[in-house]
Amino acid sequence: MTAPGILAAEHLTKDYPNGVRALDDVSFTVDDGITGILGENGAGKSTAIKILLGLLRPTSGRALVLGQDANADITVRARLGYMPEHDCLPSQVSAAEFLTHMAEVSGLPPKVARTRAADTLRHTGLFEERYRAIGGYSTGMKQRVKLAQSLVHDPAVVFLDEPTAGLDPAGREEMLDLIRKTHREFGISVLFSSHLMGDVERTCDRIIVINGGHVVHHGEVAGFTREMETVFIEVDHGREGLIAALAARGVTASEDAGGLVLSGVDESIYDIVRDALVASGAPLRRMAPRRRALTELFERGGAPA
Amino acid sequence: MSREPLVQGGTVFDIGYQRYDGPREGRQRPRRAVFKDGLRIAFGLGRGPRAKLLPWTFISLLCLIALIMALIAGAADRIAGQGAAERANLPSHGDFNAFASMLLFAFAALAAPELLCRDRRDGVLSLYLVRPLTGSDYVMARWSAFLVVMLLAALLPQTILFIGLVLGDLEPMVYFRTHWLDVPRFLGAGVAMATYLTSLALLVASFTSRRAYASVFLVGLFAITTPFTAGLAQELPGAVGQWVSMFNVTNIPLHVNDVFFGATTELTEDAPARELGSTMLVGWWALTTALATTVLWSRYRRMTP
Repeated sequence: MTAPGILAAEHLTKDYPNGVRALDDVSFTVDDGITGILGENGAGKSTAIKILLGLLRPTSGRALVLGQDANADITVRARLGYMPEHDCLPSQVSAAEFLTHMAEVSGLPPKVARTRAADTLRHTGLFEERYRAIGGYSTGMKQRVKLAQSLVHDPAVVFLDEPTAGLDPAGREEMLDLIRKTHREFGISVLFSSHLMGDVERTCDRIIVINGGHVVHHGEVAGFTREMETVFIEVDHGREGLIAALAARGVTASEDAGGLVLSGVDESIYDIVRDALVASGAPLRRMAPRRRALTELFERGGAPA
Repeated sequence: MSREPLVQGGTVFDIGYQRYDGPREGRQRPRRAVFKDGLRIAFGLGRGPRAKLLPWTFISLLCLIALIMALIAGAADRIAGQGAAERANLPSHGDFNAFASMLLFAFAALAAPELLCRDRRDGVLSLYLVRPLTGSDYVMARWSAFLVVMLLAALLPQTILFIGLVLGDLEPMVYFRTHWLDVPRFLGAGVAMATYLTSLALLVASFTSRRAYASVFLVGLFAITTPFTAGLAQELPGAVGQWVSMFNVTNIPLHVNDVFFGATTELTEDAPARELGSTMLVGWWALTTALATTVLWSRYRRMTP
């Protein structure tokens, strides 16, 4: 049995009435820090989050939130925050009024709710705009309000579902900074779902990769990053000789897009490639680091932990 | 003499994010917050002038009608002598509900969708349901808020009418002693009208996320079924006609009004349903109201974002 952390999924299986199995015997734990759930659309990320929030009952298995069964007592949700991917903001009211209301709906007394709403808007960079109707906000500001409403009641853990969706590069960076700040300065643990590996890699300490309802990787981000990095080499001729020279030095190369791809690499690979090129006499045209696409990982059947 | 500045300068310290260790008030606070928010939406409080226009126009209009009725009765007594208003059979509390029902139906049709449709359309409902609040808590809080609004709209004008009739009479204390039973009667009839309209209007609103559709459907329901059932009931003989008349949705609470006041109004005097007797009429009102409330509740009971 998995040891319970802040969140724990124990052999979760979820079958929908239409026959789709969204999760199949999924187990993982989430400890203090920023954890990313990575997977393509339809992989089962949202189902896992909804079960952990107590909104869906698993077909079998158990979800634990802060040591309690997620479905047993809904008052545990007072310690959880949730930022959905879709639009969820009223257009007519101001951010200050909306956040005060959401703090009260999370169980905070009205006076405290008002104070915390102002504080949270300040921390998310919306203090100056707090009395404007949300309908007039930009996409980036709306994303900040969505994040602010998930933090206003000071949760122990916050679930962020695709928080950078629809943002331009600058807005994306600001949102990722805020997510890092949420844990490092506010002390709130984060479970961050995304299908963008770059976002997860730059923000998270740990990662859970889900594909087709299975956990295919669960561990530190650093190990996962190494697994995902490759080196792409293109030579004018003598490709077979280079493959043999690399194999002789313990490196397997696969042919792809007119070149060679070396997997599972670290800094020493460049020395090995230099030696193999010299030994085989193949003239180098191009060599560059390349990131493997998430789909390639899934096609290979998952990454090692 | 030089005056010292009131503020001699100071420093604003950023004390950073503050954790919250205070009380979290379980499910009661969220219910109260959604109820309070429902009242604010229905009365347009904290929103622009356009949001306030609709509810306050209807309530003011109803109060104005009651005031004019009281002034006419008082003037009749002063011009034609004590008791002239009663001898002339001027409209009183029972008749007021018949006039007011049209305005109350229109008000319910326009105001009720505001309480449910916006939350679904904007996606705010998904934020409520991840907090310590169930779908049942949410819909019952909204139902209670709209009931309070409808009670105000139904009972405030009647109260003004009663006070006006007492004060307008040449002998106020005599009028009060002989007519005090009108108070429990209009309270009972008002409660019947308010609960019926609250449940029916919110039930229709629960089927769509577009306010305009719900409002048009409700207005159509009142405007089309009333002449249709009334005409059909007159054509059909005996019990069939009486039961068809029971499906006149505008008359259902007015029959209860007739039972309380022991007299029919202009809208119900020709209705064959009247012949089914008081118990059946009150039972039919209770059944339709309970059914509408139950269906409304069941639609939200298991709702997930």
